[in-house]
Amino acid sequence: MADKRVAVGDLHRMERGDFPLLLERLKGDGYRLVGPTVRDGAIRIQRIDSVQDLPVGWTDEQGPGTYRLRRREDDAYFGYRAGPQSWKRHLFPPRDPLIQLKRDGNTVEWRRPVMDEPPMAFIGVLPCDLAAIKIQDRVWMGAPFHETRYVARRRQAFLVAVNCLEPGELCFCDSMGAGPKAGDGFDLCLTELGGKFLVEVGSDRGREVLAALPVTTASDEDRHALQRGLDAARSRMGRKLNTKGLGGILFGNIDHARWEDVAKRCLTCGNCTHVCPTCFCFNVRETGTLADGQEDRERFWDSCFSLDHSMIHGGYFRNTPKQRYRQWLTHKLGAWESQFGTAGCTGCGRCIAWCPVGIDVTEEAGAIRKDSKSHVRMPAPREHRLKAGDPLIPSPAQIMRVRRETPDTATLWMEPTGPYRWRPGQFNMLSIPGVGDVPISISGQDGSAILHTVRAVGKVSEALTALEPGMLVGMRGPFGTSWPMRAARGRIVTVVAGGIGLAPLRGAIREMAASAKTYPSVRILYGARTPDDILYPDELETWSWPMHMQVGVTVDRAGPAWSGHVGVVTNLLRKGGEVRPDGVYLLCGPEIMMRVVAENLLLAKVPEEHIYLSLERNMKCGAGFCGRCQKGPYFICKDGPVFRYDKVSFVFKHPGL
Amino acid sequence: MASCSGCQGVLVSCEDELLAIAGAIDIVHFPEASSRLAEEGPFDVVLVEGSISAPEHLEQIKAIRERSAVLVTVGACATSGGIQALRNFGKLEDFADRVYVRPDYLATLETSTPVADHVKVDYELRGCPIAKRQLLELLTAILKGRRPEIRNESLCLACKRYGVVCVMVAHGIPCLGPVTVNGCGAICPSLGRGCYGCFGPKEGANTQALAQRMLDMGIPREEVLRSFRFITGYAEAFREESVRHE
Repeated sequence: MADKRVAVGDLHRMERGDFPLLLERLKGDGYRLVGPTVRDGAIRIQRIDSVQDLPVGWTDEQGPGTYRLRRREDDAYFGYRAGPQSWKRHLFPPRDPLIQLKRDGNTVEWRRPVMDEPPMAFIGVLPCDLAAIKIQDRVWMGAPFHETRYVARRRQAFLVAVNCLEPGELCFCDSMGAGPKAGDGFDLCLTELGGKFLVEVGSDRGREVLAALPVTTASDEDRHALQRGLDAARSRMGRKLNTKGLGGILFGNIDHARWEDVAKRCLTCGNCTHVCPTCFCFNVRETGTLADGQEDRERFWDSCFSLDHSMIHGGYFRNTPKQRYRQWLTHKLGAWESQFGTAGCTGCGRCIAWCPVGIDVTEEAGAIRKDSKSHVRMPAPREHRLKAGDPLIPSPAQIMRVRRETPDTATLWMEPTGPYRWRPGQFNMLSIPGVGDVPISISGQDGSAILHTVRAVGKVSEALTALEPGMLVGMRGPFGTSWPMRAARGRIVTVVAGGIGLAPLRGAIREMAASAKTYPSVRILYGARTPDDILYPDELETWSWPMHMQVGVTVDRAGPAWSGHVGVVTNLLRKGGEVRPDGVYLLCGPEIMMRVVAENLLLAKVPEEHIYLSLERNMKCGAGFCGRCQKGPYFICKDGPVFRYDKVSFVFKHPGL
Repeated sequence: MASCSGCQGVLVSCEDELLAIAGAIDIVHFPEASSRLAEEGPFDVVLVEGSISAPEHLEQIKAIRERSAVLVTVGACATSGGIQALRNFGKLEDFADRVYVRPDYLATLETSTPVADHVKVDYELRGCPIAKRQLLELLTAILKGRRPEIRNESLCLACKRYGVVCVMVAHGIPCLGPVTVNGCGAICPSLGRGCYGCFGPKEGANTQALAQRMLDMGIPREEVLRSFRFITGYAEAFREESVRHE
């Protein structure tokens, strides 16, 4: 007899024979069913049509580097553990069109592709996977931006979770607080017990669906059986992970011998990242070949184990397997919590099973904890203000003027399509259709035109420096943090810049040059490779005129006409008199320059809180999603590029991190 | 150079895209497909298939390099020496004696080597044969002035993106995927067989760890050796691994 009084939070009982009605009801409501099914020797998660597609009577036997399906003795629908796939492939597909380009004569428009997918109903989400979905929610639906494609799929998705009473050999959801009971966030949660289903209602949507099905209220016996089952499951976890202070331990042992040890075994194949239900790193490519004339853009799953992930013009900074494995583990079990407020791992065990050589994260983390030499205080998650709009769609900006600065650098004046406000230190992502898009600091404003000084170091920047007035470029931004103009008020400011590093500082310098009252003492120290590489020479001259400003320029290699300083910019620092601990220091240039200057400042007793630097990375999104710009717990695109030194010193001092 | 010309065949079998290519690019010299020949150059792009195997190849490749702005090696032969490089592991006269009645008529180099051993190479397309998609991407990228979207990453990433179940983890079938460059789109594992490395080793390939795993799985040492000594067996990482099991 159907019990119509169904409320959120209730526990009901459903007969096994009635379970197919749930799927039929969801299909009738327009959902496309996605669920587990046996195929090619594993339980995959893909489109299903009915209960016949579910892995009835199947379970699995897992170990490091092995996975085998096994027949159960009963006919359970959900008697298995995490397989090679997760629900991530449906909310964040391995390949996803991002932008479509439309050309119309002289105009160019970038548009989001239309999403006409039906809502999905996920049938059989294990507790570890439900926790993973909620972890991913914080990545894509956090701040400062929401990722619109994920949001659209996620908001529509109906989640039917299942409690897990038979954890496997590689499971440690209990250690991660992710199971064996499904946390909240489901619409309905099933527990398969004694040949019937117990159903918990988790939301109004779930309530509506269940109210139309033949269910009865669960009895006290049912509740006790459920509790006993969960308690038993908790005691039978195959693995354990001690998470106490783990992030601080991992980041406190960056040079631990265990990293070398695991690096000998690691294939850098990236399997772990692709089976992981929480990994979110992606890459972006311009699509379209000669044949179809398209210049669209798509994103696809990437991995921190691929060499390209740590590309920066001129090279790769995570060259070795040790650096890459360390990035994976310190991120998953450490940095993640500082980024999103939860651990990145749910204890599903997939990375252990699907690693071809069976590397076990619980073992690796445990080994480092065991003889940990020190620990670090991990930063708390940073609060970002949520901004409206879709940060991934460029809007067209017209080039008004181009000025060659040095043989490989040009400044572009571009007119944005709408009102535009920015602060010195921020950057835009500039797009050339068919070629790519790159982060370029904003170096000034002239009327309504926004200025960018670009150095040609790769294909996109080369194309940018070859633009001419009248051409269109795609612009998205502004992104990132800015120079601490407020903190610098009334203080002695020293700006130390190297090469193109002067460009992100120009906006700040102009502001300080304009007001001696607010910034009573500004010293600019600038180093370039040769006299021909000096950026903004006229402006450097102009900046030296006001009483409150001082400018020092040095070159690495002098030409015959050069009569100024020769040598690195740190020499200028020392020559310029006493380095004052109470001053404010703004640094921007090659990382090695900033590292050496910072060291010099610290030696002169300048507190870490008085030093600011601007970091740079190859970015694909600029909005905190693709993961490429991470340095330890920081996203350079949203927590930076301007950082106060005390916040980043614990990772900045390790170049290969 | 020395090859089966299957890689050139990929360009010819572009079918749909061939018209667009011929419209955007002037193909001035393509003996396999056209009677138009223009050996003197200069060329904007040259695609070279085949390994350096005969004495005349040494001269030819230097001449080609001089006349080309961009030189692209295509296929396992040009990028790793090919299957014919298996002769590099032994002595040429032993093979020659068994195959030819009059081995004295042969004029060949002792070894079959990749083009990059002799001249500077600008881009590489791996594979046996190369992947049509990568060829189109390379040509498009050169024309548009973008970095070609040809990545040096493991085959495993392709399997996982496509949803192919790992043949090694789920079926105990040895597979070179973790140390092989992606580009083929995981053809072999999607058909239930292990990758045999025809796209060659990925950067930083940890063949030792994979070989150890294979031995632990019970694969005989000789089979491990032969799996690394195959189509791209002369590529450094695979070559060194096979030698370890001799």
